Amino acid sequence: MNSPSTQFVSSGRMGMYDPIHQIGMWGENFKSNGISNASTSMFIAGNPNSSQPILIAADTKLDNQSEDTSHGTLGPSSKYDQEASKPIDKVKRRLAQNREAARKSRLRKKAYVQQLESSRLKLFQLEQELERARHQGLYIGGVETSHMGFAGPINSGIATFEMEYGHWLEEQNKNICDLRTALNAHISDFELRILVDTGINHYSELFRMKATAAKADVFYLMSGMWKSSAERFFLWIGGFRPSELLKVLKPQLEPLTDQQLLDVCNLKQSCQQAEDALSQGMEKLQQTLAETVAAGRLGEASHMPQMDTAMEKLEGLVRFVQQADHLRQITLQQMSIILTTRQAARGLLALGEYFQRLRALSTLWVTRPREPA
Amino acid sequence: MQEAIPFRTYIPATATSGGNRKFPPIGSATTIGGNVLVPANRENYVQKLVLENSVIVFGKRGCCMCHVVKRLLLGLGVNPTVFEVDEKEEAAVINELSNINGGKDVGEVGVQFPVVFVGGKLFGGLERVMATHISGELVPILKDAGALWL
Repeated sequence: MNSPSTQFVSSGRMGMYDPIHQIGMWGENFKSNGISNASTSMFIAGNPNSSQPILIAADTKLDNQSEDTSHGTLGPSSKYDQEASKPIDKVKRRLAQNREAARKSRLRKKAYVQQLESSRLKLFQLEQELERARHQGLYIGGVETSHMGFAGPINSGIATFEMEYGHWLEEQNKNICDLRTALNAHISDFELRILVDTGINHYSELFRMKATAAKADVFYLMSGMWKSSAERFFLWIGGFRPSELLKVLKPQLEPLTDQQLLDVCNLKQSCQQAEDALSQGMEKLQQTLAETVAAGRLGEASHMPQMDTAMEKLEGLVRFVQQADHLRQITLQQMSIILTTRQAARGLLALGEYFQRLRALSTLWVTRPREPA
Repeated sequence: MQEAIPFRTYIPATATSGGNRKFPPIGSATTIGGNVLVPANRENYVQKLVLENSVIVFGKRGCCMCHVVKRLLLGLGVNPTVFEVDEKEEAAVINELSNINGGKDVGEVGVQFPVVFVGGKLFGGLERVMATHISGELVPILKDAGALWL
């Protein structure tokens, strides 16, 4: 007969049983595979009369325990004595069953914990993805919370920049829309000029923001983490490469007059030359920094002797970003000089859309279906 | 249309322009790895340099921005003289340079290195070089100063 009551057990030899009752979680998993119920709770009562170690397991969920433990009573010792000889084997079997049950329980617990750990990791990764998605122009707000996945202290200058960049992107999207509408609507050149100037000034605004951010943390700017991943792929000294840009734009602007073609060609060339000079300067900076860091004896865990020099070199990076942004700016301005108003408007529109596409590509990439890790 | 000259080849030095040459021992200025001597007639020396060279770049030793200016000019086919200024002389040199009649307004207080002189006159820093290059004005100016043939 199955009774859910507990029985008292006396024993010196119990074997190892977990006091599992406090963990209800996988206690529920202990369905009615009868024997395993044995490990739920155990009571030990001293039985002074018993010279034999009698072991009767107690459980709270008895299902099919017909044979063994039915009646929960503290009967007189004689009762136990009577039963002592009979169920020795059964007692042994009970022991084994308990051990088995406990082992299974431990395994289940291990599996559960592992599951928890991997979920935790997944959660962390999701948070980082969300973070990146935020930075790709979907900025919502609350910068303080967004630095969980970031290493290093929160830099208020950078936090400001990220926020401002989010706004800049919104404004940029609006400008592009306006340009598109205006070009389709065939408005006057005069009005179009206003839009072109707005567009170029908007880029100037970005360069100003970047200049401030460069002083706060030039490495952050150089890393391009504030841009979407596809844009970052094309990164050159903290931004887009002006010559690349001209290559993208030129086919969009045709037809061009002969003089314009000449001017654009010259601009492309000058741009390339300026870029090369800056790139070579960067290489030199890397070289001298490497030399500075490697100076003195390596391998002895001693401090770097020329910290000050190295710091100075790093600060040189700020000037590089400034010069690169300056180059971007004057390239844009020169283009707007070479082109007619209408062409300039088309150019700005094309440029804006190009970057929009890169950003869209990045988002698509982040959300692409992936095989489970 | 101007022809592009790959930056690795350039016009060989002429009498009036040269690369990082060693200066005459009477008043040696610092070049690459050179010793610093401060000659008595220092004041005029810098001025003389400016006047004698169609293009001269003053920059701090080891400064990478100076390197940028140099490479840009080299890429155009110019062989600029480069004067590398030691930290110690920095203030003095800046002082002299500011005093040189730049032809334009010398209201550009605080000359910042690197600084370029073209045709004996103050031209400007890296930004000005870049801006004039992009706008297409630089090459004609260099040609006028005799720094560039072709």
